[in-house]
Amino acid sequence: MKNRIKLVLAQISCKRGDKQRNLQRMEEVLLEAKKQSSDLVIFPELCVTGYANRDQFYELAETIPGPSAEKIEEFARQNDLHVIFGMPELSGKTKGTLYNTAALIGPEGLIGKYRKMHLPTHSVFEEKRYFRLGYQAAAFETALGTVGLCICYDIFFPELIRLIRLQGAQLIVCISASPAVRKEYFEILTAARAIENTAYLAYVNLAGVEEGLQFWGGSRLIGPTGTVIAKAKYDEPDLVFCELDPRDLRPAEAFIPTLRDLRPELFDKLKLESEKI
Amino acid sequence: MKLDSSVLEIDLVETAKRATRFIKEYVETSGTEGIVIGLSGGVDSNTIAALTSRAIGGDRVLGLMLPEEETRSEKDIEDAVTVAKQFDLKTQICDITPALRSFYKSIPIFDQSDKLCKGNMKARTRMIYLYYYANKMNTIVCGSSDKSETMMGYFTKWGDGAADIYPIIDLYKTQVRRLAEHLGLPKEISEKPSTPALWPKQLAETELGIRYNTLDLILYGIERFMDSEEIAGQLNLEKATVETIRAKWLYSEHKRRGLLGPKLSYRTIGADFRIPRDPY
Repeated sequence: MKNRIKLVLAQISCKRGDKQRNLQRMEEVLLEAKKQSSDLVIFPELCVTGYANRDQFYELAETIPGPSAEKIEEFARQNDLHVIFGMPELSGKTKGTLYNTAALIGPEGLIGKYRKMHLPTHSVFEEKRYFRLGYQAAAFETALGTVGLCICYDIFFPELIRLIRLQGAQLIVCISASPAVRKEYFEILTAARAIENTAYLAYVNLAGVEEGLQFWGGSRLIGPTGTVIAKAKYDEPDLVFCELDPRDLRPAEAFIPTLRDLRPELFDKLKLESEKI
Repeated sequence: MKLDSSVLEIDLVETAKRATRFIKEYVETSGTEGIVIGLSGGVDSNTIAALTSRAIGGDRVLGLMLPEEETRSEKDIEDAVTVAKQFDLKTQICDITPALRSFYKSIPIFDQSDKLCKGNMKARTRMIYLYYYANKMNTIVCGSSDKSETMMGYFTKWGDGAADIYPIIDLYKTQVRRLAEHLGLPKEISEKPSTPALWPKQLAETELGIRYNTLDLILYGIERFMDSEEIAGQLNLEKATVETIRAKWLYSEHKRRGLLGPKLSYRTIGADFRIPRDPY
């Protein structure tokens, strides 16, 4: 991992259903990031299409790699950047199976992708109606260090974030499309996941309004002891340029040694009990 | 869960901000020029006057006052005008009496003594005026239904229940009153007893048979899946009172639903033909 990593929390609002316009906005952000010598730019969940697309997800989804991902690869290559973004992914093997996916692209191309494992289908959310569950936690080795990916509602599941951490992720990235009524939960949970895993956590939420859902923004970079290092505005689009220093992980891990003190035998029980509820 | 008035407390600043943002975004993406609202002089429509004015500016909001001979109240008109002035709304008065009389005359089975059917016709006639203005002026109709009356089915289907948006439909009446006060409406308006103005001396609480501060707590309990016994116990009410409210809520679901038809084809409008509102 580099000694200092410069991040951009790209809290954009999307034009729902308009991939061209959204990709154009992403390109503008990447150019700005390049000017600021950034290393990694993080965009929100489903930012290529917007969140509330209902049946139109079937028309908007693309494979990864595919036209939109390739466009972002091109931007990343041109600007020598790492980019994380979300989009509806069409399975390469079927015609109507979609995933809610986060992709990680580096200057050399696609590094990996994560398919959301916890799809909210309650309250105003209807993700399981459109998306298939992902089956793999994802932590990828990059030139910037090991980066773990999760998406929005995943943050409510500490076991997934723990797994990503145990796979080596020092920076956990959570991309999100969280509407306003959930703000307090995310503010607590993002800090909790960083502290309990002694890891950096970058949370990037959408801003703007889609179908009455008001995304609250509030993106943030949280340090391994829970300190909010940088935070974006609430409710409106914002770009936050911030830095993390992986050397701070060691003192944090020594101060609250949750990883040292893990009890693996509990995980077997966790599996057994969770099958019974 | 404890059921007392504290559960209905809301963050008024945040609530006003979110409702305002909702209105503004809808108007912006609808491609229309502004908003028309029915301004009755009551707390709900006056709250909507304040919110719409905050959202897009009062000069883009028309408050339409629609009195008719049986329920006309100069006090209500005065209150509506006061609030319209306070929030810089444009206003217009249309007396709907001639239109109503024509309806009464032209319906062979019209029954003067059936005040419910007649009252609903008044609400639907007001809707026709609102949509005429909206259509003519390229604006949207903003409804002022609140959560209490909507859950109770205490509105006229395709009458006052018809609008393009409902910015306070997720707030109980007691919450609307607090929001009204927060938005700067005079206390006498924020605390004014509600009436649908369908017939003379009609008062919502009398007709519903319960005070809003109790009703709202019952509805809050229902919303959170509490059973009737528990709600009644906490509020010191007869279980039958809660059951009656629950029955009204369940029975009136047909009024809250959109287009309902049988499933006959691949994707069915109103059921599984699910697309976003704003086109791209």
